[in-house]
Amino acid sequence: MGRLLTSALQRAGALLALLVPTVLAATPAAASDFGAVIDMRAVAADGLTSYLNGGLGDLRFDDQHDGVRLGSISLFYNHAFFDVLHVNVDAVAYDDHDRNPVDLTEIYAEFRPFPSNGWRSRVKFGAFYAPISLENRLPGWRSAYSISPSAINTWVGEELRTIGVEYDLDWLGRQHGLDWDFGATAAVLGWNDYSGELLAVRGWAIHDRQTTLFGVVGQPNMPPVAGLREFTTDSDQRPGYYAGLNAKYRDQLELRVLHYDNEARTEDYSFRLEDFGWRTWFNSAGARWTPTQHWTVIAQWIGGITMVGDSGFEDSVLTDYYRYEFHAAFLLVSWQHGPNRLSARYDDFEMHQNESDNFFNTNRGHAWTLSYQRDLSRHWSVALEALQIDSSLALRSQFGEPVNAAERELQLAVRLQL
Amino acid sequence: MFAAAALCACSALLIDPAAAADITASVVDSTGQPVAGVVIIAQSDNPPPEKHVQHSAIMDQQHMQFVPRILVVQTGTGVEFPNSDQIQHQVYSFSPAKTFKLSLYAGHKYPPVIFDRPGLVTLGCNIHDGMIGYIYVTDSPFFGRSDSAGTLQLHGLPAGSYTLTAWHPQMQESGGNSLTTRVVLAEDSHATPAFRLSHPVRRDAPHSGDTRWADY
Repeated sequence: MGRLLTSALQRAGALLALLVPTVLAATPAAASDFGAVIDMRAVAADGLTSYLNGGLGDLRFDDQHDGVRLGSISLFYNHAFFDVLHVNVDAVAYDDHDRNPVDLTEIYAEFRPFPSNGWRSRVKFGAFYAPISLENRLPGWRSAYSISPSAINTWVGEELRTIGVEYDLDWLGRQHGLDWDFGATAAVLGWNDYSGELLAVRGWAIHDRQTTLFGVVGQPNMPPVAGLREFTTDSDQRPGYYAGLNAKYRDQLELRVLHYDNEARTEDYSFRLEDFGWRTWFNSAGARWTPTQHWTVIAQWIGGITMVGDSGFEDSVLTDYYRYEFHAAFLLVSWQHGPNRLSARYDDFEMHQNESDNFFNTNRGHAWTLSYQRDLSRHWSVALEALQIDSSLALRSQFGEPVNAAERELQLAVRLQL
Repeated sequence: MFAAAALCACSALLIDPAAAADITASVVDSTGQPVAGVVIIAQSDNPPPEKHVQHSAIMDQQHMQFVPRILVVQTGTGVEFPNSDQIQHQVYSFSPAKTFKLSLYAGHKYPPVIFDRPGLVTLGCNIHDGMIGYIYVTDSPFFGRSDSAGTLQLHGLPAGSYTLTAWHPQMQESGGNSLTTRVVLAEDSHATPAFRLSHPVRRDAPHSGDTRWADY
């Protein structure tokens, strides 16, 4: 344990020594926000081999990869040019032997002019998260309520990133003395033609390990999860899109709905990835309710389809096709008092095949997450999380693993915010 | 804070101190309980005295909130907008009484904004849409906010007829978020007008401002 801790701390220290001065040196004194969070973990995991280590487990860590670990080193940078152009960069290091020791999770510019008579347009350009999660509101797209976000938002972190342009139109009713603000969002995106494949193979998971922009989904060369897959691969040069609406009632209620479609051509083959494109579309809806200063309730739902090799396409070179329907939902209740926050979340999820030529996989499960967080000072905080996932995944049987698994993970995070 | 706000009211504006009148206004809800924080303004039917009770005021940004959330100032007052947070704010208003925008970056100081027209100015932050603040600009030098006992004392008003206005952004009266009443002040008199609200003032929305939260 001591050797592990020393090793992990040495690696974290080396990464920080490399990163922080570089970013600070580039940070002008004004109009800039810079932040960093070092997150060290003590982890006890009891489950299948994690998908990050080539298995089909649903947790970030497993019993061969627990103990003292680097949770993450997150770096955030924002600079406002001419008051209306905001450049945001989020980078992260996980120290889990991904392709790059430090990589980006988001990098985008946002044109955000001041409102005019209650109306405001916003344009984002770059790589960023679609407005789906109501949990991930800390810089670096980290959950404010637990260490591990829900199954829905874990998948968003794994396989979804908007690389493209997003337009928002907001109507700020509260500026007119009313109680509601409304917004509409639309985006055109590319480089997301394989979203859904991980869901179809491994099923739903719960963890805080986001896929980085130049990293890979899962670990390279570790079957059966396709390795070497990254966001920068586009198979068909056909853009996808999403469109959504949101409403806010004072500071008490936020509602979001979104329709997403990556418009991937499933008959297009990538020799680099040795894979066909995965067409994925889904609807998502969520509500975050803050009835009092102390209580927050979040509910989210997602439902959609991911498919590959649909024989309905003309000129299809893939004669078999696989089509999966997926759903997931969660309910989170959080109580905050002073520096203390307690949260409990229940996740329910499923993925099953329909209209497919051959049976390949199905997934069903639910999970409980209990979390306690405490701010010790302006810079230091701790978080304790207990997570249990009960799931079935048909594909596990092909790898000698039990189809049904109860996976448990206990994590203590010590965080230093700079 | 309400007591401090009440003290902002003019206390030495007399043209003829010996002939001055006083007002002790009160605000109660439908059950008779005092209502604190309500803006009260006494507007004379005659032109207001050519005198300012204050020349400057402060509207700070703390923990992603405007502090104070409601500020009453006399026309011509310069209001400073410091930023006590370690994050950027971009304050704006498109209210007819004062349209402005001000980027407040940590550590920067800007000259005061002069509020030179009467009316209600609603403040927002272009980075944090949940931040809402109000500056009520009035020509009258006789104003303040009700204290925890629901009262406001105004001293040294010239004799004459006045319109008293009680306003709060969360008042829910049938005519909107204000009430008015008429008061006639004789020399050396002490009037005690009372506002009785027919509906409760809506509670403040729970503040969800954690300066660590980002806009996703």
